[in-house]
Amino acid sequence: MSGFRLPQGGRVDRSHAVNFSFDGMIYQGYAGDTLASALLANGVMLLGRSFKYHRPRGVLGAGSEEPNALVSVTRGPGRFTPNLRATGVEIHDGLTAVSQNRWPSLKTDLGAVNDRLGMFLPAGFYNKTFMWPRSFWDRLYEPAIRRMAGLGEAPTEIDPDHYGATYAHCDLLIVGAGPAGIDAALEASGTSKRVILIDEQDEAGGGALSDPALWPWLEESLKDLAVAPNITVLSRTTAFGYYHDNFIGAVQRLTDHLPHPATGARERLWRIRAGEVILAQGAIERPLVFAGNDVPGVMLASAARIFLQRYGVAVGKQVALMAAHDSGWHDVFALARAGVGVAAIIDVRDSVDAALLVEAEALGLAVKLGHSVIDVHGRLAVGGISIARNDGTAVVRLACDALLMAGGWTPSVHLWSHSKGSLAWRDDLGAYVPGEPNEKVRCVGACSGKWNFGSGLVTDSLPTPRDSARIKAFVDFQNDVTAKDIRLAVREGFKSIEHIKRYTTTGMATDQGKTSNLNGLQIASAALGRPVVDIGLTSFRPPYTPQTFGALAGHAKDALFQPTRQTNIDGWAQENGAVFELVAQWRRARYFPKSGEDMYAAVNRECRAIRSSLGIFDASTLGKIEVVGPDAAEFLNRMYTNPWKALEPGRCRYGLLLKEDGFITDDGVSARLAPDRFHLTTTTGGAARVLNMMEDYLQTEWPDLNVWLTSTTEQYAVIALQGPNARKLLEPLVEGIDLSAEAFPHMAIREGRICGVPTRLFRVSFTGELGFEINVPTAYGRALWERLMADGAAYGITPYGTEAMHVLRAEKGFIIVGQDTDGTVTPYDAGLDWAVGKKKPDFVGRRSLARPDIVAPGRKQLVGLLTDDPTEVLEEGAQIVADPGQSIPMKMIGHVTSSYWSETLGRSVALALVAGGQERMGETLHIPMPGKMLTAKVSTMVFYDPEGARLNV
Amino acid sequence: MRPPPLRWRIEMLLIHCPYCDEARAELEFAYAGEAHIARPEDPSAMSDEDWQYYLFIRANQRGRHHERWRHIHGCGRFFNAVRDTVSDKFEATYKAGEPRR
Amino acid sequence: MSEALTRAEPVTLEAIVREGVTISLAPPMARYSLRARDPGALEVLLGLKLPKKIGTTEGAAACLGPDEWLLRLPLGASIAMGEGLPLAITEVSERAVCLIAEGPRAAEVLMAGCPLDLDRFAVGRATRTIFETVEIILIRSGEHRFEFEVWRSFAPWLQLALTTAAGQLR
Repeated sequence: MSGFRLPQGGRVDRSHAVNFSFDGMIYQGYAGDTLASALLANGVMLLGRSFKYHRPRGVLGAGSEEPNALVSVTRGPGRFTPNLRATGVEIHDGLTAVSQNRWPSLKTDLGAVNDRLGMFLPAGFYNKTFMWPRSFWDRLYEPAIRRMAGLGEAPTEIDPDHYGATYAHCDLLIVGAGPAGIDAALEASGTSKRVILIDEQDEAGGGALSDPALWPWLEESLKDLAVAPNITVLSRTTAFGYYHDNFIGAVQRLTDHLPHPATGARERLWRIRAGEVILAQGAIERPLVFAGNDVPGVMLASAARIFLQRYGVAVGKQVALMAAHDSGWHDVFALARAGVGVAAIIDVRDSVDAALLVEAEALGLAVKLGHSVIDVHGRLAVGGISIARNDGTAVVRLACDALLMAGGWTPSVHLWSHSKGSLAWRDDLGAYVPGEPNEKVRCVGACSGKWNFGSGLVTDSLPTPRDSARIKAFVDFQNDVTAKDIRLAVREGFKSIEHIKRYTTTGMATDQGKTSNLNGLQIASAALGRPVVDIGLTSFRPPYTPQTFGALAGHAKDALFQPTRQTNIDGWAQENGAVFELVAQWRRARYFPKSGEDMYAAVNRECRAIRSSLGIFDASTLGKIEVVGPDAAEFLNRMYTNPWKALEPGRCRYGLLLKEDGFITDDGVSARLAPDRFHLTTTTGGAARVLNMMEDYLQTEWPDLNVWLTSTTEQYAVIALQGPNARKLLEPLVEGIDLSAEAFPHMAIREGRICGVPTRLFRVSFTGELGFEINVPTAYGRALWERLMADGAAYGITPYGTEAMHVLRAEKGFIIVGQDTDGTVTPYDAGLDWAVGKKKPDFVGRRSLARPDIVAPGRKQLVGLLTDDPTEVLEEGAQIVADPGQSIPMKMIGHVTSSYWSETLGRSVALALVAGGQERMGETLHIPMPGKMLTAKVSTMVFYDPEGARLNV
Repeated sequence: MRPPPLRWRIEMLLIHCPYCDEARAELEFAYAGEAHIARPEDPSAMSDEDWQYYLFIRANQRGRHHERWRHIHGCGRFFNAVRDTVSDKFEATYKAGEPRR
Repeated sequence: MSEALTRAEPVTLEAIVREGVTISLAPPMARYSLRARDPGALEVLLGLKLPKKIGTTEGAAACLGPDEWLLRLPLGASIAMGEGLPLAITEVSERAVCLIAEGPRAAEVLMAGCPLDLDRFAVGRATRTIFETVEIILIRSGEHRFEFEVWRSFAPWLQLALTTAAGQLR
């Protein structure tokens, strides 16, 4: 078949032929065609299969309301986009499109058996049938449903395209560049308002594009807009969602229409904040509900006119019109004038405006008033129709190859509804129109219910002499919902449209009921015997049309997905083979394997080096807060569990921070630099949380305190030197600090210089060995590290990562907040009674430590665990039981929080939270693992050097 | 300065910061729970029940809700707001320490 | 003592040039966070004038909050630390670096990730804000010149984000 392109007319560029493929066949169209118009020009009526019944489907509409003609477009690996409306896909040379929901081919689709079995697939079918037996679900029902269901296929490869994103601010945003939107923009031109006019099509103009009489006006207007300095026009841009405070999300398609996209973004996400919004989205024509209304070739009358006037394509050679509204008559008059054959105008109304009859007669068109289509013949394309009088008599068969439907108009109130504007029912239109706004927004043109399309009859479905329970008259084409499905739902007791929607699936998914909502409502209303306004209207939800994940993600992918924070020393670790782990947003060296070493070998070597000589560790990620002001000590005294006022300048203290509920939230060693200046440290992951919590108390509970907090996390690079030779390495490099044990004891801080740069030098240890933490201005971190590595060679200095750090601290029983605690652990539970200032009248969390649940016996407490088999390393997270003989499910009394092989001790060590743990010292507990039952004895948490002799040297 | 949120999101609300005296995008703010719940002067003097009420019980108001926000990626200040939890619209924002509106 | 330690910056020192915009790293500088309920006390101590309105600058100082100023001085400059006074001065020279986007399309690059309305953000304004998920202090130092104070570890991400956006302008 061919020859549906008219010899003249349309806005396509006939001098520019375009070759494209659909389902492997090569076709030709013109620049300016959509895939739908080009296929129709080639006589291709069958564009897809439906979702549930796999019925053959063609084009219903001509724009973004299209529910049927969903296609996939591929541009090579990873560039596969399913579910595009053929009416919105601009063709270009090389465009490769395929149909969906069919196997093995569009014309022979095995899934179409669902259509024959339709009587077994009523509304709620899935809910009813696949309930029982439960065991069939995983193996049979779900895989079968998954194979059959779904719209299109998800691409399996990573999308290689780039997506841009931008914010935009304007005083006036106009959505829709049809005549109403353009008029609104022209009105604002020359004002001081910043105006953005967006439109989803490739050309601005909207309805004017299919009305040649308006083309001169359109051309003139677009010229005026182009030169207006305050107006930005964005075409190919879909406003997909309307959010709070006039925030509108829109996606601009930049390259999909180009045969050879250059580099740059494929789409751009616009995040627009508008002072005022004007919605000029127009109206969508409504299909009519009758048997066979989904056969390819049955379409909206307005769509046929758009294909004619905008693309120069006749949708058939002999068309018939089924009308309930005047507008369809005018559409058919236009087709007739262009030379398209018209079989008949059928109108369900008994009488229409005399002017329509006069014009029909002048054009020589047959008219059947008070008649309805009762069947459509043909399966893959319209071959004819049967019509009858509305009383069911006088059945006649007419030959035609396209049937146009004119069911009246539905204002496009989708975005209005996103904005939570109210809707008002208009009986005369049979539609909801915008009511009270919820934002600074108004609707203009057809989407406000104002149009000059004439009038019509609002009907739920066309009269038919046939048994309505035996015909498929579609309401929601995309979700394959028929009138009888909705009536069935009502019979089964569903009364709310929200429930009917979910039960039948009408108005759901990507379509959001653009062509179906009002017909569905009318049918439900008739079935329930209640007016439409009493049934309500389901919510329209974003997105207005489907958008790509790429556009929503914007820049946020690959290296830009989220920042990976790196220390000044990170580059050295990278160059020296470190294996990294992510801690909060930081990347930290986990261990430094030498050639041939696995993690365990590397960590064991690192641990041996620290215990025997010297290790070096990048501790820069630790959170740091500088607390400054006359009330600094008072403030810390109120925040932390232990006393701070008496801490002398130059000394450090371990600080334990609770939330007001009494549970540990953070810890760290902090130093008093001066009477009014403290250098706090927090955990790596807790830095932001702790600062926020402290600011909260300071600003809102104790605003009278003269103290201020400043994050200094990134001001300092921090290098930990740990091991018996730490002092020896440091001594020659440090100026102005006496490193001797007497002058610089454990838990002290000194300020001076190291290698010529200022330093805050802490004498602290998280390993149990003699240790220093060197704080220097961040920019010098790497250079200092390299100097220490060079000079430390004499001591076999060994860089170590977080894993060795964890092992060594566990040997000493030092906890990691967030690993050994989980937000339900008090200082007493963690064995940190010594860190709680018993004499302090108040601190954050103190009152909660006296709550009944907190002092009750049997709480989970942190203890050590030593496996009976010293070579067995427990799994962190493993559950613990007291009685191994009990039946499953066993009573679990705790779990392992930390567990390592201790190279120092030649055995495994573990920490665990165990109910009543501190009362169980020496008790044997059991750890059930797959295929075995492990045993371990409860011990204290300090496994190595309990006296701390190695620290005080 | 404070570190940023971890997840990417579309910001929606416009919030008027009473310190900056500017309406700024929600992205710059952090929600901070119900407002006007002062920490008791002397927690140790409180009964378990009163303390539990202070710690855990919140109005969870439908409609006009007094709540705290922090302009965390702006001036850094905590402030109070009245927001309708049904419409999600702010009625007012005001500085910490000012009387309840 | 052997030779002095050298600095290592988190991003490349060479300017990145894209159509209409150049993204570069400002030289290192001294930075101080100034905090006080009464700006007068800071002004007396430091002998300089502080801006009083949040979001504005005065010379080298930017007012970021009701009791907070950022003072940026040449590298190595030191100031009185106000020991014992009811105020707080903290050195944060190395906490951040300053990226600069300059050129007729600099604002467009910034709008890729910053929700501020730049038409309402005049030359001389300064504020803490956000670029996608990363906190910045944004200073408009010219009609077509924006400075981004960003914590060091976020600088590579921000530089890449700005460069990427600059390559995707309309």
